[in-house]
Amino acid sequence: MTSKPNVATLYSSFASGADATLSQIEVSISPGIPTFSVIGLCDSSIRESEGRLRSAFKSAGFTMPKGHITVGISPAYMRKTGTGFDLPMAMGILFASGQLYLPPGAKIYAEGELSLGGEVKATPGSCIRLKTVRDEYFDYKIIPLSETSSAGIAGFKGQGINNLTELNAVFDGNEYKETVFEFEQESNPADYLDISLLKGQEKTKRALLISSAGFHNIILLGSPGCGKTMAGKILSGLLPKLEPDELPEVYSLAELVEGGSSKVTFDRPVRIIGPNSTVSKLLGNSQSVTPGELALANKGILFADELPLYKSEVLDFLRNPLEERKVHMIKKGVLYSFDADFIFLGTGNPCKCGQLYEKGNKCRCSVTEINRYLSKLNGPFMERIDLLSEMRSISGSDMASIYVDESESESPAYRSIVERCWQKAHERYGSKYLNGNFPEPDIRDAMRIPENVVRFASDLSEKGFFSARGFTRVLRVARTIADINDADDVTVEDVSEAAQFRKRGS
Amino acid sequence: MVELTEARNSDFFYSSLMLNSDMNYKTINDLVDHNAMSNYRDLHNIELLKEIVKGSFSLKSDTVHKVENLIDSFNDIEKIAKNYRQIAFDNNIDVVSCLDITYPYNWKNLSGMPKVFYYSGNYDIIDRMTLQGSVAVVGSRSPSRYAEYATDNICKILGEKGITIVSGMAYGIDRHAHISTVNTPGGTVAVLAGGVDNIYPPKNKDIYDLIKNKGVIISEMPPGQKPLRQYFPSRNRLIAGLSDCTLVMEAGSVSGTLHTASFAANQGKEVFVLPNNIYYENALGGLKLLEDGGNVLLNADSVIDSVTRSLMYKRMDMGCPAELYYQDKIKDDFSEQANIEALRELARVKPEVLTDENWKALIKDSLTLKPLCADELCVLTTLPFYKVSKLLTELELNGTVCQEKGKYSLTFV
Repeated sequence: MTSKPNVATLYSSFASGADATLSQIEVSISPGIPTFSVIGLCDSSIRESEGRLRSAFKSAGFTMPKGHITVGISPAYMRKTGTGFDLPMAMGILFASGQLYLPPGAKIYAEGELSLGGEVKATPGSCIRLKTVRDEYFDYKIIPLSETSSAGIAGFKGQGINNLTELNAVFDGNEYKETVFEFEQESNPADYLDISLLKGQEKTKRALLISSAGFHNIILLGSPGCGKTMAGKILSGLLPKLEPDELPEVYSLAELVEGGSSKVTFDRPVRIIGPNSTVSKLLGNSQSVTPGELALANKGILFADELPLYKSEVLDFLRNPLEERKVHMIKKGVLYSFDADFIFLGTGNPCKCGQLYEKGNKCRCSVTEINRYLSKLNGPFMERIDLLSEMRSISGSDMASIYVDESESESPAYRSIVERCWQKAHERYGSKYLNGNFPEPDIRDAMRIPENVVRFASDLSEKGFFSARGFTRVLRVARTIADINDADDVTVEDVSEAAQFRKRGS
Repeated sequence: MVELTEARNSDFFYSSLMLNSDMNYKTINDLVDHNAMSNYRDLHNIELLKEIVKGSFSLKSDTVHKVENLIDSFNDIEKIAKNYRQIAFDNNIDVVSCLDITYPYNWKNLSGMPKVFYYSGNYDIIDRMTLQGSVAVVGSRSPSRYAEYATDNICKILGEKGITIVSGMAYGIDRHAHISTVNTPGGTVAVLAGGVDNIYPPKNKDIYDLIKNKGVIISEMPPGQKPLRQYFPSRNRLIAGLSDCTLVMEAGSVSGTLHTASFAANQGKEVFVLPNNIYYENALGGLKLLEDGGNVLLNADSVIDSVTRSLMYKRMDMGCPAELYYQDKIKDDFSEQANIEALRELARVKPEVLTDENWKALIKDSLTLKPLCADELCVLTTLPFYKVSKLLTELELNGTVCQEKGKYSLTFV
C-alpha cells in the first residue's frame, strides 16, 4: 500500500470576462459514509460532475473511493461556472485515493470536461484560460487534445490527452512531455467581392477606401438593390489581415462564445446584426459575462444592416461603444470590460420607399415621412460616423458611359494603399491605433494639421457643413485622405473632400 | 410698347369675341381638333370662317351655328377689339399669348389658363420668377394687426431672397404683400380681375402706380373691362397657378381666399396657413385649412424650402434649357454657352490644361438642367471623385450649389 495523502492540490482556471482567473482545487477524502460535495460558489454544472466522474472512473478502470469526498475550489468568494473543472477534480480524487502517483511537490494544472466514457473534452473559453496559464509555472500541464487550436494560438505548452486512461502513462509511467501545439488555419479563405463591382459609384468606392485605410465608421444609404450589402463584403476584403499578436485576442472571444467550432483564421471578424438586435445581444450576457456582438467584432467590422429600422434604444446604446471603443458589463459590482474596436458599417434605405436618391423623381415620400424615417440617425449618433455615402442603382445608360476594363480586379491595388496607410498610422501613433480610433482628444499636432487647415475647417463648420463635434471627425478623415495621397501634412483639399462625406449639420 | 402686328390684333380680337359672342373654349377646341383652324388666332380670319361654315369639316352643328353667329357679328366684335387696342396703346399695355415664348412657364402645365393676357409694367419679373420662384400671398381685406405684421415680415424676407410675391392688389393682406416687396429683388406681381387699366379698388391707386413702375400688373381681361363680380374666382385661379406655393395669411370662413387655396391645392401646390387665434372669427377659414392638412406657416424658411423643392422639380421637368426663356439673358448667355462648349471639348481632348474654375463652370453647366449626384458628376466631368468633391465643397461654400436628397443643384438665389 502506497502512502495515501488524504488531500491533493491542483490548479485550474475559469474565464471571467476577457481574462481568466487561476483557481486552486483541493480534494480531501476522509473515512465515513460515502458523500460527495463541491464547495466554493460553484454553479450546478460543476456540482453535477459527480455523475460524470463516477461513470468516467468506471469506464477508465478506476474506482470512486469510498468515504467523504470534499472538493474545494478557490478563490471561494467568486462565482464559478463551467465543466472544465471535471478533469482536475478527477485527478485530485485519483491522487488522494492513491490510484495515481502524485509526484511529491509537483504543481499541476489541468482542465477539461469528462464524458461518461472517460473521454476528455474541450470546454468554451479555453483560449482565454490558456493565455493566462501560459505565463505561470507548472510542472505538469494537462489539457484536452481537442483544445489544440486554442493552445496553439495562445502559445501554450503542455500535454494534451484524449482519455482518462492516458493519465496512467503520464504519472505512473512518468511519460509527461511538454509539447508546443500547432494550430491549423481555416483552409478555405473567405470569398471577398472585388471593389470593381461598384461601377459608377465613385463616392462609395472612395468612402470604402477611406474607411478601411483609417478605420472610420461609415454609413451607406441607398435604394434596395443598389449594392449596399455587397459594399459590406467588399470592405472586409480591403482590410489587412490580423497581426499575429491580434489573433489570440480575437480568437479567444470567438471561442468563448462559439466553442471549438469557431474558425481559426487571420481574416478580420465581420459580425452582421439586423434590425431585431437588442441591447443585450450587442452587449452580451452580463450574468455569464459572455461578450456580445460588439466585443466579437473587435478588430474587424460590425455590419449593421437596415440601420434606420433599429430600435432607438439600440442606437442610443451604440453611441458610447462607438466613442469609447470598449463595452462594459457589471456583475456583482465587478466591472468587466471588452475591447470593441471595430469599423461600424451601417446600411439602410434613405426613406420609406427607398427611392430618394434614385434618378428622376421616383420617391413619393413626403418631407415629414423622410424626416421621420431618418430621425433616429440624427444628431449624436451621426456625429460618431465619419463617412456617409449615398448610393443609387446604376442604370444601363450609366454603364455605357462608364469606361472600365471588363471585370478587372481593383481590390488588390486598393488593399496595397490601405496597407501603406496603416503602416504610416502605426509609425505615427504606435501599433495599436489608426486615424479613426486614435484616442487622444487633441489631434492637431499628432496628425500634423497646419493652422490654416484648421481655420478652413472651422469656416466650413460655421457655414453649417458639420457640427462642432463633427469637426474633429472631419479632420481625422482628412488625415486619412492625406495618407492615401502619401502626404505629410493635411491640406485644405483633404478637408474639402472629407466634408463631402458628412451629413449636413452633424 | 404695343406692337400692332397682325398676330397681336388677333389676340385683341380673341379677347373681344370671348366677352361679346357665344363662342367658348369648347367650341374653339372643337374647331382646332377637327383641323378647321390651327389655333385661336385663325378666328380673326373671316375668309377661313366662311370656309368652315361651308361644311368641309365634320363639325358639330352647334359649333357651325356659333361660327355663323360670329361671322354675323364679326364687324361689331372687331370694333370692340379696336377700342381695346386704343386703350392699350394709350395706357402702355401689352398683350402676351400662350403661343409666345414669354408665356409664364407655371401656366403652361395647367389646363384652363388664359390664352391671352395683358400686362403693364416690368415683364422681366415674370420671366425671372420661373427659375427664382414665386409665392402667392392672399388673405382677408380687413386683417388683424397680427396678420398684417406677419405679411410684411415674411414677404419682405422672401422678396429679399429673390422670390416674387403674387397677389391681387385688394385691400388688407394683398396691399401689405405688394408694398413690402415692391422694392425687393424678387419684386411683386398684381393680378387684377378687370382690365389692367382699371384700378380696383380705386383707393389703391397709390400702390397701383407703384407696382406699375416697379412691379408688373397682369389680367386676363382686355383693357377697359370692368371688374365684374364673377371674374374674381377666375382671377384667384390665376394667382394660384402663377406661383409655386400659396400663403394664406388670414381668411374668414366664407372668403375668396379659400378659393385661391383650394385652387392651389388642386394644382398640387403647397398651401401655408398663418396660425391664428381660434376665437377670432375672421381667421376661422384659415384654421379650417390647417385642420384639413395645410402647412403651418411658422417662418419664411419652410416656405423657401418648399419653393426650392418645386424649383428643383421644375428644372427636372424642363429638360431642355431652350424652353427656359430669359428675355435679356439670352444674348449674354450666347457667348458663355459657346465658351462652355469649347471647355467641354477641351475636357475631352486635353483635360489636364483645365483650371479649377473651368471645371467649376462645367459642373455648374451640368447642374442647370437637373440636380445630379456626385457619382453622375464624376462620369460627366471624367474627373476622379476626390477632385469633384473638393470642387463641390468650394461651390457649396460660396453658395452656388446646394445639396438636397443626395443630389446637388444650383441655388436659386
